[in-house]
Order: sequence, then C-alpha cells, then structure tokens
Amino acid sequence: MSDPQHRTSTHRGVRRVSRRGTAVVAGILGAALALTGCTPPATEAPADPEYELTAQTDAPSGDIDSFSWVSYAEPYSLDYAYAFDYSDNQVLSNVCESLLRLNPDYTLTPALAESFAHPTPTTWVYTIRDGVTFHDGTPLTAADVVASMSRHLDPAVGSSWYSVYQNVTSIEQTGDREVTVTEASADSQFNLAMGGSAGVIESAATLAEAGADYGNSTGGVNCTGPFSLTEWKSGERITLTRYDDYWDESLRAKSGEVDFIFMNDANARVNALASGEVDGGWMVPLEAAPQLENSSVGDLRFGMSTAVSSLIVSNLDGPLGDVNVRRALLMALDREGIVSAAAKGYGEVTDALTTESVWVGASEAGLASAFDDLSEYPYDLDAAKQLVEEAGAVGEEITLVTAPISSDFTVIAQATAAAAESIGLKATIQTVTPNAYTALFSDPSAREGVDLFYTSWYLSSPDPLEMYSVLRTGEFSNYGEWSDPEFDQVVNEAIAIDDPAARSEKTAEAQRIANEELPWLPLYTGPMSLFLGERITGVAPSIAFLYYPWAATIGAR
Amino acid sequence: MTAARRVAGKLGGLLLTLFLASLLVFFSRFLVPGDPVSFLLRGRKPSPEAVAQVSAQYGLDLPPWQQYLQWLGGVLQGDFGRSLQYRQDVTAVIGERLPVTLGLVVMAGLMIAVVGLVGGIVAALNRGRILDRTVLIGLTMLGAIPSFVGSIVLIAVFAVQLGWFPSFGSGDGGFLDTVYHLVLPSIALAVVFVVLVGKVTRSSMVDQLGREHVEVATSRGLGRATVVRRHVFRNAIGPILTVSGVLVAGLIVASSIVEAAFGLAGIGSLLVQSVDRLDFPVVQAIVLLVVFAFVVVNAIIDILEPWVDPRSAAGAGAR
Repeated sequence: MSDPQHRTSTHRGVRRVSRRGTAVVAGILGAALALTGCTPPATEAPADPEYELTAQTDAPSGDIDSFSWVSYAEPYSLDYAYAFDYSDNQVLSNVCESLLRLNPDYTLTPALAESFAHPTPTTWVYTIRDGVTFHDGTPLTAADVVASMSRHLDPAVGSSWYSVYQNVTSIEQTGDREVTVTEASADSQFNLAMGGSAGVIESAATLAEAGADYGNSTGGVNCTGPFSLTEWKSGERITLTRYDDYWDESLRAKSGEVDFIFMNDANARVNALASGEVDGGWMVPLEAAPQLENSSVGDLRFGMSTAVSSLIVSNLDGPLGDVNVRRALLMALDREGIVSAAAKGYGEVTDALTTESVWVGASEAGLASAFDDLSEYPYDLDAAKQLVEEAGAVGEEITLVTAPISSDFTVIAQATAAAAESIGLKATIQTVTPNAYTALFSDPSAREGVDLFYTSWYLSSPDPLEMYSVLRTGEFSNYGEWSDPEFDQVVNEAIAIDDPAARSEKTAEAQRIANEELPWLPLYTGPMSLFLGERITGVAPSIAFLYYPWAATIGAR
Repeated sequence: MTAARRVAGKLGGLLLTLFLASLLVFFSRFLVPGDPVSFLLRGRKPSPEAVAQVSAQYGLDLPPWQQYLQWLGGVLQGDFGRSLQYRQDVTAVIGERLPVTLGLVVMAGLMIAVVGLVGGIVAALNRGRILDRTVLIGLTMLGAIPSFVGSIVLIAVFAVQLGWFPSFGSGDGGFLDTVYHLVLPSIALAVVFVVLVGKVTRSSMVDQLGREHVEVATSRGLGRATVVRRHVFRNAIGPILTVSGVLVAGLIVASSIVEAAFGLAGIGSLLVQSVDRLDFPVVQAIVLLVVFAFVVVNAIIDILEPWVDPRSAAGAGAR
C-alpha cells in the first residue's frame, strides 16, 4: 500500500472543465515545440524521481510587501456557491472563511463557528464566533450565517454544493449567536463539509446588494478572511490585500498583498517560475519538474493530496459488466509503467479509490482493514487472459474515450487500449474535444457507447465516504450505474454513524467491496506539487490549499 | 449624388451582411454538441428545480427562434446577454478585454504597415537586384513563422534570456507600460502578415512602374521621387488597401494565439476559452464583433478608394 505519509487527492469532473482552456493552448504550443524541434521525446521513460513529502516549508524570516502566484486558470467566480475547482478555491480560501477550517493535515477545527453541537442525530447547532468582522468592517452575525447557508437551498442560485445540503430541511437562527441546521436523516457528512466552500459565510447585506453580480469580477466578495479582494483584472490577475482587522492573530497575513496571475499555458507558467517573474504556484507541470528542481530561483516541493487517478467503468452492459473482465483489465495494465510515463514517476500505484489522507479520525483497525485487506491486482497477463477466456469475453469490443487535456490522458488511453488488446478484447480509442470529455461527467447521453474514461478524483472533506457515497445506486456521479445493494447499505449505515472511528470501520467495508467489484479501476495516486521562489517561504504543501488560508502564512525568506 | 448612392448602397449591404451573420452566429450554436445548462452546473449533482431555474435565467428554456429574437433585441440595445462562465454581462466581459486586443492590433498593424510597405517599395524600386531578392526572401521567411512559434522564440530570447521585455500580462494600465508589454506580442502577431503587405506592395508598385503614364512622366523630366510618389505609389495603393481590409479581421482572429502565449486578456484568447467552455453568449458577441469590424473596415475602404485613387471612381461612373 501507499506510504502512510503519502497523501493523495482526487480531482473530479470539474477540474477537467477548467483545464480545457489550458489543454487547447498546450496543444498548440506542443505543436510549436515539435516544429522547433525542442520537444523531449515523450517515449523515454527516465528512472522514477526520488521525492519526499514536505509537511511545512521553512518559517518566514518576516513580513513581505507582496508576492505573486501563478494559476493555470482564472476562477469562474469567487461566489462560494460555485467555487468548486482549484482555480476558484485557491483564491477564495484566503478571502472567505467557513464555519470550520480544513487544516493542511485535513483535520477540522472551529473557525467562524467557535463550536458546534450535535444534540440529535438530525440537528447541527453552530455557535457563531464573536468579534469577527467582514472586510467592510461590519460584524459577523447569525443572520449572515443563515443567509449564506440558505443560498445552497435556493434553486435559482444552482449551487455547486447542493449535494451537501440535499438532506437539509431547515436553517434557522435559534439564539443570539446560534444557528441550527435540521436534516431529514442522520448525516455525519454535513458537518464535515462545513470546512469547505459549502460552509463559507458572506455578509447578508453584500449578498442582497450585489445580487446576480455577487462573486464575479465586478461584484466581488466581502468576507472575513486574512486577505480582502482588492482588484480582479478580468482575464489577467486578482489582487488580494491584507485585512488589518482580521480576527485570528495566528493567521494574520505576513504579506501585504498577493497577486494571482492566470497563465493557461504550461510553458508560460514554467517560464514565469523559472525566470523569477512569478514567486510561486501550485500544481507545477510535472514535465518541468527536473528543470525547476535544479533551478537556482526556488524550490519544488511535494505535499499531501487526496486525488486518485482511475478509470471509470461507464457501461456495465458491455464486456466490462463482468467483474472478472474488469479485474483482468486492471491486471493487464502496467500501472508502474503508467506512473512513470503519465506522472513522470511522481506517484504510486493504488488499489483503493481513496487515499489514507482522507481517513481522518479512523481507528487503527478501520484503517488496517481499509487498506491492508484489499485485493491486489499485480501486473499478470497470463492470469488476466485466463479470466477473460473464462468469462467468454474474448473478441468483445470496448470503447474508451480520451481528450487532449494533458499528457497523462494520452498515456493512459494508449496503455489501457493496449492492455485490453493484450487480453483478447478489441479496444477503440475515441478522442473527443476537452469539452465533450467534460460532458461525460454531466450528460448521460454523452456516455452512450462509452465503456471507460479516465479521471483523477479528489475529496474535499476529511472522510472517505465522500468518495463511496458517489457510487451508491442512482447517484449522479455513479457513471456506470453500478448497483450493489450490500454496498449501498454499508455506505448508508456509515453515513449515519457520528463517531469517526466507528464510521471508519464501516467505511472500510465499502472500500473493500469497491476493491472487489471495481466499479472504477484505481490506477495511482500522486502528491500535490508546489514551487516556491527564492523570495518567499512558510507554507504547508497540501491540497488543503483549496480551503485553508495558505497565502496568509507565506512571508519573506 | 452617385457618391451618396454608393454610400447608401454600401450601408444597406453592410446591414444585410450583419443580419445574415447574426442568424448564422446564433443558430450555429444549436449544431454544437453540448448543453449549456450542464455546463453551468458543471457536472455537479443539481436539484431538478435548479436545472429549471437556471435554464430560465439564461433564457435557455425558450424555443430557439424566441431565443434569437430575444438575443437580437438585446444586441440592438447593446446587451449581448450574460456570460455563462463568468456569470457577468457579456458587454462587461468583452469591454474589459477589448482595449488589450485593440492595442495589440494597432501596434501590429503599424509594424506590418511600416515593414511591409517599406520592404515592398524598396524591393519594387530595386526590382531584380540583390536588394529586391533579399527583401523578398526576408519577408517570406518572416511570413513563414506561425504566431505561436514566433511567440515562443520571442519569449525565450527577449523575456527569459535577455530579460528586456516582460513575458506576460498587459502591465499596470498606464499607456507607456501597456506599449512596453505589447511590444513582443505585437511582433509575434505582425510577422505572419508582413509578407502579405510586402508582396502586394511590391507587385502593385512593379505593375505601376511599367505603366505608360509613368514612362511619360519620367520622360517629361519629373524627378524620380516625384514620379514614385505621385504616379506610382498613389496608383498602387488600391490593392494595398484592399489587402489591409482583410488583414484587420485576420489580426483580430490571430491574436488569440498570441494572447494565450503572452498571458494577455484580450478578446482573442477569450474567444478560444469561450468556445471551449460552451459560453455561447460570449462567442456570439465576439464573432459578431469581428464580422462587424471586417465589414465596416472594408466598407470604409470601398468608400475611401475613389478619393485615394481617382481612377476607380471614374471607372465606377463609366459603368
């Protein structure tokens, strides 16, 4: 299994969306490089790099006036109801705060709620912190909390976080500083999601005033975080400024300003980092890792992630409807080779759809049975062929869809087709536009005739149930319409358990079923990458940057 | 009278072209696979009420012809609808980016005009000589460099290696800083088009140089400079203007690649992004804008031509 320190995160359909712009341009530039003859041969598989995970970079020596940060895409919106992607959340996490705070180690601690209670299985009571002010100076009240949370229930808003609220029947102010959320059934997951965008609190007055423009580049936001949004130059940059009246002294911003610069093109990002024009960035293009690692202008670091790269089985009426064929295909995939080629070696093969990093609060027994008792699917062509023969699937056809999004897509599509062919299946690779690829995740008609597609799926809350609840019968993201009554029951039972340790043991059962049945084929996990220029330091490399005010901790080297 | 009629005819044609373009631009979106609502909800689990409400907000629940009328009505009042990706008025989204692209197109246009015209004139006046061939080969080589290759080379040499120019962004908004930031992108954009203007200028000039009236003028003892200026260049300018009209639309479209490479927030890169993200209102607005710019520039050139080149007016009158 994976190194316990090694955390992985999942990216969902969503990240694919925002990377589409990137992909097109990257394609153009790839062609350009090919023309100018500077493309390194993609077929060469270098020895896997040595890397270790960093929990925290060196402490800053002091404050800094400002630093700049590169992002592969512009946020669609800074409205927390739509903040569902890397580009939105990496900015928003520094400006807006949630009821709870998701820390770099994926633990949850109180934030705008100074405490919470769970008096009955279906109610969550939040005590709102006193002495907190919004960036316009007005104090945080319980009414702001009710207004902010209620937006997720408003169909006119069309919140991205609706699924977190789907069991909620009421959100009410029940005291001077108290808000009570009532649910239709016991749901341990609701409170866990309050550390993310689903728990962000905005000023009710601002929401009413900005209306439909709330969160866009003209409407802006007015939250309580360590930085306030000062400028959004549409298409180019976002500037944040330290909020001097920030309530939490321990996270007072060490930088006066932060500039987020949007650069869709991967080469441009690498150039900007390598030349020192930009001070840092998350999710560095791994092709450039050697160049950046040896550069004198900064450090490349790796931290915990929650993403798992996997193949989604989207048609159970075809040959992959037979679990033995699914197992055979996974055994025919040289996943070590895929890690080398697709992730440039920065990753590890996994048989689970979650990373250990999201099993926060799990009991030792739960964690052990979740990861140690899994069936392994080592590369074994003979055994795989035999399984396919026994299943009587030899000569049957499968279609897998890919898109020119980043190099891992191409590598994985080709490796999967080759693996299928090697065990007697006929495989067709269908290449579609990045946009059409995204439609696979939202539009059932787009999945017709499609047997497999690739994803890297991250979790936003410190609980593996976020992954497994998606695979229940009839769920929106259960793309293959896989249905296992026993699995559904296990997941539903787990969701109702409050104690994380007890819950983890139940969740482990779900993980073991998924590992046996393979509704998705897990491939590998990889770390979160971070580049820090020579001027700055003091950040925890972790995928929690999506929800934790990471920029506040960065100061002068 | 004739001139007024010509202008009126041009305007009528212009409006008809724009109307047809609007039909094409609007309805072509129904041919593109993909559902704007599922884009808006970005693959997340929506509640059925949310799907209905969001569709209604963006007018996506109406039949296509009603959507068209609503859209056209808005466009006539300067309202291009709301961007799906930015959840913002399209006019605001484009308005923020238009200055960058205009700056880029103007600077690149100037470079093209200067290098292309000077190159073409120098080549024509030295026809058949080494200088002619050098200029021709030089221009052809420049023209063979696609914008994206040009961008990469320029960034690698002048931004990363030498550090003379910034490699991305449009600066702090000040005029000089903007110009400074747009130098490299303008060059990258200009190179492809330089050869076109250069070659047209050269062949048009060469054509005129061989004409009788030029020989007559020369034999009358007029100085070479005067002959070139008054008899050759003035008559040669028609084709050059025509080509320049085509260039304007080409520049706006080609700017997408350069803008992407230099991290510029212009309408070119916005167009690419918006196509990719099914942001139909923005795509429709930009395409209409480009068609508009193209049609208007060409109409202006058509109307101007008689004044620049009296022969074309005479010819039109004789017809």
